[in-house]
Amino acid sequence: MAGAAIIQEAIHRPGEFMLPLILAVLAAGDGDLLARLQRRDPQALAELYDRYGGIVFRLILRMVRDSGTAEDLVQETFLRVWNRAGGFDGERGAVGPWLLAVARNRAIDHLRARGGRAENTIELNEIENPALFAAAASDPLHFDLARHVKQALGRLTPQQREAIELAYFEGMSQTEIAERMGQPLGTVKTWMRRALELMREVLPSTLARGGGAVAP
Amino acid sequence: MNCDELRPDYLLYALGTLEEPERGELRAHLDRGCESCTAGLHEARAIAFGMGASVEGPAPPRQLRGRVLAIAGPQQAGLWSGLKPWAVVIALVLVFSVVLIGQAYRFLHEKKALRSEIDRSHTEAAALGEALAVIQAPDTREVTFGQGQPSPPRGRVFFHPTSVLLIASNLPQPPAGKTYEMWLIRGGKPAPAGLFSPNDQGNALHLFHPPSAPVQRDIVAVTVENSAGVEAPTSTPIIVAPF
Repeated sequence: MAGAAIIQEAIHRPGEFMLPLILAVLAAGDGDLLARLQRRDPQALAELYDRYGGIVFRLILRMVRDSGTAEDLVQETFLRVWNRAGGFDGERGAVGPWLLAVARNRAIDHLRARGGRAENTIELNEIENPALFAAAASDPLHFDLARHVKQALGRLTPQQREAIELAYFEGMSQTEIAERMGQPLGTVKTWMRRALELMREVLPSTLARGGGAVAP
Repeated sequence: MNCDELRPDYLLYALGTLEEPERGELRAHLDRGCESCTAGLHEARAIAFGMGASVEGPAPPRQLRGRVLAIAGPQQAGLWSGLKPWAVVIALVLVFSVVLIGQAYRFLHEKKALRSEIDRSHTEAAALGEALAVIQAPDTREVTFGQGQPSPPRGRVFFHPTSVLLIASNLPQPPAGKTYEMWLIRGGKPAPAGLFSPNDQGNALHLFHPPSAPVQRDIVAVTVENSAGVEAPTSTPIIVAPF
């Protein structure tokens, strides 16, 4: 199965003829991978790491900005997924979005502890519930999506982009973002609304407004 | 709030950072099975994944893979985890081969010991057969010794034109480093006639082929000597049997 390096190549070199082929290959094995994770097959964990380890590490490193801490949190992330894979509907969902949600939450937990931040509105356990990702599109489509989102982020104004990134990478509420940026809450909400509209515009039609039952 | 008013909040809800009262409003829509908000949240989760997956940076350290795989247990991170199936097969074949070689070596060793035991039994059987032939031969003369003596040993010597056979009982075990040596004394001059040891019951059978046929007045004697044997007796005989 293709590893994280191939996936990253696909993301960073869009439009090349290899991308559809890679996506098709990736799509074939995900259900089987989840099923084997649920049976606690060690080889499935190895394949999961080979496929997503690089992405998870880069995301966490971007958030905590320390390589040693990032390694610890990557291990915690895969441990959590390994122990909770039984709650995932492997026939319908995609493991990638769930895995990244777990990784992001581990990093936000760490940032909170390090910064002495009080609990805010984020509900980590709720948003990483495997059932929420049961109707997600297959991982290959999500990898293609990453390319589109990256392009969309490049089109945002600096303020829009900063607001979105504070919400995503630091887990801040709009109130906290407004305080951090020294702007009125209404202004921040306007920036973020516009940013979200821009990103929705770049979604592939297979994902945008794709429907399907999603657990609340 | 209606769905259009909630639409800008889908991403924050997906990220877990939406505040009240908007969070409660959106949750109420989802709890009612609102298709529009459900689809919008699905889309927001896709965007969230896209943001995480688009982060650039260095590759993870090589050792991190081992740390993660250790989660599945020591067998995963240890001996077998990184092995391909063919490597496992080769390892098993090697282990099996070592066991087989060990077994074969043990069998060969046992076979050698058994062969040695059989050879020894054949030698003893041959000696017994030869002794029996000497005893039964018509031209064999028999001499008894030790009868009426206050202490053992006792037995007989069979003189045959080609052999001299000693059969003794009640022989004490010789001291360490010593053995019994038989002599054939002719004309008052002792000649070595072989070394022997009694069995655990103190019995002994010793057959000697003299260079010439025994004659009248030849004497068979037995002394205790060094285990390597000597050319002339050095101790008092414990057996004396004149022909």
